[in-house]
Amino acid sequence: MSVGSTLLALLLRDLRLAVRHGGESLMPLIFLFAVIILVPLGVGPGPNLLAAIAPGMIWVAALLSSLLALENLFRPDLEDGTLEQWCLTSAPVTALVVTRLFSHWLITGVPVILVAPLAAEMLYLPDRALGTLLLSLVIGTPILTLVGGLAAALTLGTNRGSVLLSILVFPLIVPVLIFATSAVSAAADGFETGANLGLLAALLVLALTLVPLAVSAALRLNIE
Amino acid sequence: MIPQFEYAVFVWTSYGVFATVVIWQFLQPVLRRRRLLAELREEAALQSGVEQ
Amino acid sequence: MMFEKLKVGFHRLGSPPTFYRLCRRLSPWFWAGFALCAVIGLYQALYVVPPDYQQSDSFRILYVHVPAAWQALFGYVLMSILAAIALIWRIRTTEILTMMCAPVGAACTFICLATGSLWGQPMWGTWWAWDARLTSMLVLLFIYLGIMGLYSAFDDRRKGARVACILVLVGLVNIPIIHFSVDWWTTLHQGATINLFGESKMHPSMLPPLIWMAVAVKLMFTAVMLDRSANELVDQDRRKNWVRKMIGDYA
Repeated sequence: MSVGSTLLALLLRDLRLAVRHGGESLMPLIFLFAVIILVPLGVGPGPNLLAAIAPGMIWVAALLSSLLALENLFRPDLEDGTLEQWCLTSAPVTALVVTRLFSHWLITGVPVILVAPLAAEMLYLPDRALGTLLLSLVIGTPILTLVGGLAAALTLGTNRGSVLLSILVFPLIVPVLIFATSAVSAAADGFETGANLGLLAALLVLALTLVPLAVSAALRLNIE
Repeated sequence: MIPQFEYAVFVWTSYGVFATVVIWQFLQPVLRRRRLLAELREEAALQSGVEQ
Repeated sequence: MMFEKLKVGFHRLGSPPTFYRLCRRLSPWFWAGFALCAVIGLYQALYVVPPDYQQSDSFRILYVHVPAAWQALFGYVLMSILAAIALIWRIRTTEILTMMCAPVGAACTFICLATGSLWGQPMWGTWWAWDARLTSMLVLLFIYLGIMGLYSAFDDRRKGARVACILVLVGLVNIPIIHFSVDWWTTLHQGATINLFGESKMHPSMLPPLIWMAVAVKLMFTAVMLDRSANELVDQDRRKNWVRKMIGDYA
């Protein structure tokens, strides 16, 4: 099998599995809405307050829901030996990693982008900020997947990975959160968003170049 | 700067934090070493006891 | 000739008993050096240097806050270099040394944050502010804790050390952010006053205690690193002969 067809096969397999486990794949989305709903219940329904915290809360909800699906990113494949097959195929492990993370983003990140307008409405985000919100999510959710994938790969060899996984994601994701929410808040107030979105895009490029290498190194270590 | 503010407490607390952390960093290896050696000596004693 | 000796000596460091003996032998010297520099530095910081024009006596917190902050950053850079060596050459003693940097680094970061809060309260009336410098230092603390947590979560310590080394290198991105945060963003925290290669804006009479305390903290860091590494090595090598012999010598 050529490299390309191997990667395509992996991608299609992941997507097919996600579709078959329909309910399971939607859990992160339901969790996202649970968080969004809890916010007005917690801080009160006043539109001004909700509009002010909407960018941050939507992003925090997106981050927390992305943590949910990470446990099963690599673990099933470690347990049934597929990861060892990854190291043996002709395709470079890094490419397989990128494919796996891409399919994960399609399954978990894209739905978040699609439901973001609804979440924005629920928290009274001003309409002029919606475009920036969607753009920040389009640039930012891949970073969430990348960093989450890295944490998942690092904690693969441990027994109690899930809490540690979240703790590892958090410090690395702070810049993403800051830039994304600054951009959306700026848009909500009518200011320029170029700088923050540009820095966010720079973070995406940085993550895209570094994370797959780190993930494949971590996977190789954890297979031994 | 806030005038008429009692600084002394803060300064001494800061130095106290520093001293506490440093003392703990000194003590922890000492305590761990003692515990390790005791454990290993016990294991060795058990083993030689069993062998006899 | 010297070079050959150095190479052999360096390779010997990979041997656990040699490394252990070296750690045990060097550590007291570093502690003694720390004690000396700390005594001189603290005496100068608390009694010799006159009160500041603007901040009166509270600025003396600087003499523990800044050395701790510097060490938190330098310590991380040192840890990254060791992590790279450990990953590339797979030297077990280097892996241990790398992992033992994390607790001390975390301690220094904690000192920095705590003394910073204690300085901020009288200075600006607030214990905390979510500005770039403070937030990125807090993030650094969590990175240190994450490294410690990841290392201890593995049953196989060697694998855990190597996985944690990957995390160390990933977290290196945070260091430039911390350093340049006061330049890139307007923050509550003041800008850089001390430059390594150039004019420093601090008055010369206030500088010596800072140097003494900075050196003291570096010596302490090294001493603790050596102490902890020695213990960790014994713990990992419990079943090995050299440890058995050592216990035998003690029994």
